[in-house]
Amino acid sequence: MTIFYFVAFLSIFFALMTIFTKNPVHSVLYLVITFFTFTVHYILLNAQFLAVVNFIVYMGAIMVLFLFVLMLLNLNKDIEPMRSNLVKIMGAVAGMCMLVTFLGAFKVIESNNEFVTGNSDVGLVKNLGKVLFDEFLLPFELSSILLLTAMVGAILLAKKETKEA
Amino acid sequence: MAAIITLSLLGILVLYLGLFKAKSALLPVTLIGLLVALGCELALWGGDAKPIYSGMVVFDNFALAFSILCIVTTGLILLLSKAYFSSISNNVAEYYCLILFSLTGALMVSAYHNFAMLFIGIEVMSVALYILVGIRKTDFGSNEAALKYFLMGAFSTGFLLFGITLLYGATGTFDITGVREYLIANPQQISPYFYGGVLLLLIGLCFKVGAAPFHFWTPDVYEGAPILITSYMSTVVKVASFAGFLRLFGYVFVPLHDFWPPVLLIVIIITLFIGNITAMMQASFKRMLAYSSISHAGYMLFAIVALGATSTSSIFTYAIAYSLSSVAAFAGLILVKRAKGSDQFVAFNGLGKTNPFLAFVITVAMLSLAGIPLTAGFIGKFMMFNTVMQDYHIVLLLLAVVNAAIGVFYYLRVVVHMYFKTAEDEGGAIVLPLSFKVVLATTVALTLLIGLYPDCIIGLL
Repeated sequence: MTIFYFVAFLSIFFALMTIFTKNPVHSVLYLVITFFTFTVHYILLNAQFLAVVNFIVYMGAIMVLFLFVLMLLNLNKDIEPMRSNLVKIMGAVAGMCMLVTFLGAFKVIESNNEFVTGNSDVGLVKNLGKVLFDEFLLPFELSSILLLTAMVGAILLAKKETKEA
Repeated sequence: MAAIITLSLLGILVLYLGLFKAKSALLPVTLIGLLVALGCELALWGGDAKPIYSGMVVFDNFALAFSILCIVTTGLILLLSKAYFSSISNNVAEYYCLILFSLTGALMVSAYHNFAMLFIGIEVMSVALYILVGIRKTDFGSNEAALKYFLMGAFSTGFLLFGITLLYGATGTFDITGVREYLIANPQQISPYFYGGVLLLLIGLCFKVGAAPFHFWTPDVYEGAPILITSYMSTVVKVASFAGFLRLFGYVFVPLHDFWPPVLLIVIIITLFIGNITAMMQASFKRMLAYSSISHAGYMLFAIVALGATSTSSIFTYAIAYSLSSVAAFAGLILVKRAKGSDQFVAFNGLGKTNPFLAFVITVAMLSLAGIPLTAGFIGKFMMFNTVMQDYHIVLLLLAVVNAAIGVFYYLRVVVHMYFKTAEDEGGAIVLPLSFKVVLATTVALTLLIGLYPDCIIGLL
């Protein structure tokens, strides 16, 4: 449990740092560390598959992409877009209201109910595969259309138009 | 299910046709595929509907009706696409493919029986649209619209997913019947997660249907997108999202009926007023239609707040009326814009003299959108107001009537421009291609038919 609290503290701390740093590159680097703490959380929950996927896809691929885009756009400066204070205050109030609501909900709930503690082996690759190829086979197959759509779209938008006529 | 499979394969087939440069075959093949999918759906009509594929999808009459509406509307819109896509770019096959995939997503959303399917359906539907909106790569407005739609859409998906997670935390299941049974079994001790989940799902879906206060993306995206895509978005996508919305709130969350209607009520009132009052101030026909689609989302939410035996058929009738007249209006806009190069109201000046048929079609479409008797729109509005009356939401009804009156004002403005103002400069004459004639005649005929014999639709559901 102490490990959990330590890691949870780290994730919240780095998540806040992601928001509050003004330099975009630093912000992305903090985000990488935040994702790393998530990976640790997944391992603590015995969700090995999620941990590996999070490590490779989010920390690896997506973050590198982020950094590349930032460097290509040359945003490596302290840029703070102008925002009116009213919007900031409204956002803060609304966000805090939501936070309080959820904290209240989480506090009321008994933490030993079966969905919270759950089956501790469910995150293993073997069990995940069984669920994915049995009960959730249809959504799994149909998500191939989602990927194909994204692929077609990415190529369509990135390709140079060669207009003949 | 056969329809979903047909459409997915059809999309891939269309891609191959594009690869082999069979451009003239694209539209016929797509339309034949849509007909096959339509046949698959019609064959299932009235059968005993059980959730299939371990409870993932269910093809009951509700799902089939909305799927058929989506397929027919897509067919009508694609008929308009003949010269439209090739004037934008060379990669025509990809456009058809993306629209077909988006339609597949729409079918999934109207037939889901598990939150996993709802999520995948909404994503397939939206991802294809993010691309289609930004298809005019050199146009600044189109780029802005695509980026805005993408960011807003991704954000709202986050809300949707978090809501689904909280529902799972409360009930331990993704199956919608399971969630409903949980609510019936524990009327007193519903987990606090559940309320948060319901609200977040509500927010996510309101984003998708473009209801205020989550409507900020709608006008810019509808204006920036190519007209054909706008007409697809404001009809098929909206109808499918409402089918998903209604299934969720009309079937799953009914036992919680004293919790969420007040929230929805506020959303409806804000939506109606923002949509109608802003639509009144627009000078552009396209932007006016965008704002009016916000207000129509408000009317359609009526049926969800006042759930009753008739709410399914009233939302279906309203969706049909709205889709038909929107397609007609957008088809008219495409023709006018092609001839005059502008989508302002002024471009419609004198249309009643130069092209009486087109002017007549647009007039009928506007009257139907405004809800004037003898058109389908009147029947839709009448049924909506009737459902609300049965629940004694008198204040809501009064506000809605006020809004309907505002609607009449701005819809008739274009009619005034067509018949009572003369064009200053004679732009190019408007030529009506055969496919446009077919679409315009069909939509007008159906609008008037449903307006005169509403029983043919009302009895279906």
